[in-house]
Amino acid sequence: MNFYIIYILVAIILFSFLAAFTLFAVYAERKVAGFVQDRLGPMETGKFGSLQTIADILKLLQKEFISPANSDKLLFAAAPVVVFVAVYLGFAAMPWAPDLAPAALNLGLFYVIAIISIEAIGVLMAGWGSNNKFSLLGSLRAVAQIVSYEIPAGLALIAAVMITQTLNMQELTINQGVLSNERLLFLGLWDVSKVGGFLAWNIFQAPHLMLAYIIYFIASLAECNRAPFDIPEAESELVSGYHTEYGGLRFAFFFLAEYCMMFLVSMIGVVLFLGGWNTPLPNIGTVKLAEWTTGMWWGIAWILIKTLLIVGLQILIRWTLPRLRVDQLMSLCWKVLTPLAFLCMAISGVWRIMVMVG
Amino acid sequence: MMISLILFYLLAATAIGSALLIVSLKNLVRSIFLFFVTLFSLAGLYVFALADFIAITQVIVYVGGVLVLMLFAFMLSNRVLLSDVKQGFKGVFALPKWQGLLISLAIFFLLLSIAMQFNGHEPQWITRSKSEQTLILSSDNTIHHLGINLMTRYVLPFEVISVFLMMALMGAAHLARKEEQKV
Repeated sequence: MNFYIIYILVAIILFSFLAAFTLFAVYAERKVAGFVQDRLGPMETGKFGSLQTIADILKLLQKEFISPANSDKLLFAAAPVVVFVAVYLGFAAMPWAPDLAPAALNLGLFYVIAIISIEAIGVLMAGWGSNNKFSLLGSLRAVAQIVSYEIPAGLALIAAVMITQTLNMQELTINQGVLSNERLLFLGLWDVSKVGGFLAWNIFQAPHLMLAYIIYFIASLAECNRAPFDIPEAESELVSGYHTEYGGLRFAFFFLAEYCMMFLVSMIGVVLFLGGWNTPLPNIGTVKLAEWTTGMWWGIAWILIKTLLIVGLQILIRWTLPRLRVDQLMSLCWKVLTPLAFLCMAISGVWRIMVMVG
Repeated sequence: MMISLILFYLLAATAIGSALLIVSLKNLVRSIFLFFVTLFSLAGLYVFALADFIAITQVIVYVGGVLVLMLFAFMLSNRVLLSDVKQGFKGVFALPKWQGLLISLAIFFLLLSIAMQFNGHEPQWITRSKSEQTLILSSDNTIHHLGINLMTRYVLPFEVISVFLMMALMGAAHLARKEEQKV
């Protein structure tokens, strides 16, 4: 019976981490926005406005549940839960450190991709349940976008999976550092199995995986509905898309889901391409930096630093680039990213047979 | 063991209950969303049969694809078309009813006859493979077996399906295309 208690504890720890991350990320988002737009951002609450998001969440928690008169009450109430739970379930398979993952599934990556696709159902529920034209249009746009961009994102991930030959997130990470039992080649030329560090990351193991990572990064921005792909929430056209009618705690759940999604997609990218919990420091001769900096706490620290850096990049991009039009969005997905992702996948197959084995 | 048994019956009850609700609900959108619950609990039941790959594929194909497609079809079609579906078929001799009855009775007797055949014992081929140790264990990596079998033993059906899907894709693209302007 003991391990059931551990399961529940892990779930609670993960949830509290995600909630804390969301508070921090919202603050960072507003500060970065202020920096990019040459203003200060929140400054009033606490030192440099650091308590602003805590004040915001306290306000949201106290608000009354309001559902519009003609809405489908059941769907309206269920939507934020479905959206959040879909993203939260994805964290079940994510590796945090050597031997530390909530569930080391054999099909980990496949599971995460599948679970993320459930979010689309929640978004449609919100759009339909609100009984509002803006919400419905926003949710239709969001789902069209999520469904289309899953294809280049999935293909780019498959390109990396073909190199490592496993869908287990933990094994995927092990194969990118000094703990690996396989022969790792830097750019297919130099054996770095004993050197480790950033040289053994997937992105440097095969040059085309850099392109695959860029494709994945762009597609993941679209899957989170982040700018420059935020047409589902385009303020100037749709008020605020599928969560127009939401307020209080229900709105907070949408917000939580959005930021958790950012963290999740960044973490998937880090695990598949940027070495996961592996250290970026290589062994140099007798200075065994890589072996010194591999371990449980090091692993958690590395994966957090890497993921937060990618999340920071996502935030910076949101406030730098203008929004794409719907037709531009679709032509980017189907005419540029998808063919390039297919190309990466084909090169991966050839690379595996010609370079890594031969 | 106890908890997994409870989970199994919980999932089975959810699957059957939500399926019954789907066919009896008057609200079409709600029944489509309920279909999601049915599919999800069915995926859970697949996990109990050690078919984890099938379970996840079920989620990705049906929930992420088919269900979204159904919702889109529903939201893009007009009210007049849908009111026909809502009314259903009336009358004693309406076709769908007795056909449905026939099919469900046939499946019921099929299940019943199989249950009678084994009569609470496990079939011989299961006992044999248990003694020969040719079983899939819950710790096995099933995707390796699947991948190797798909690329060797079942490569022809696999390729035929992909050609078939390609044809469907081309047909859809052709139908959706604008008519060429004759100058």
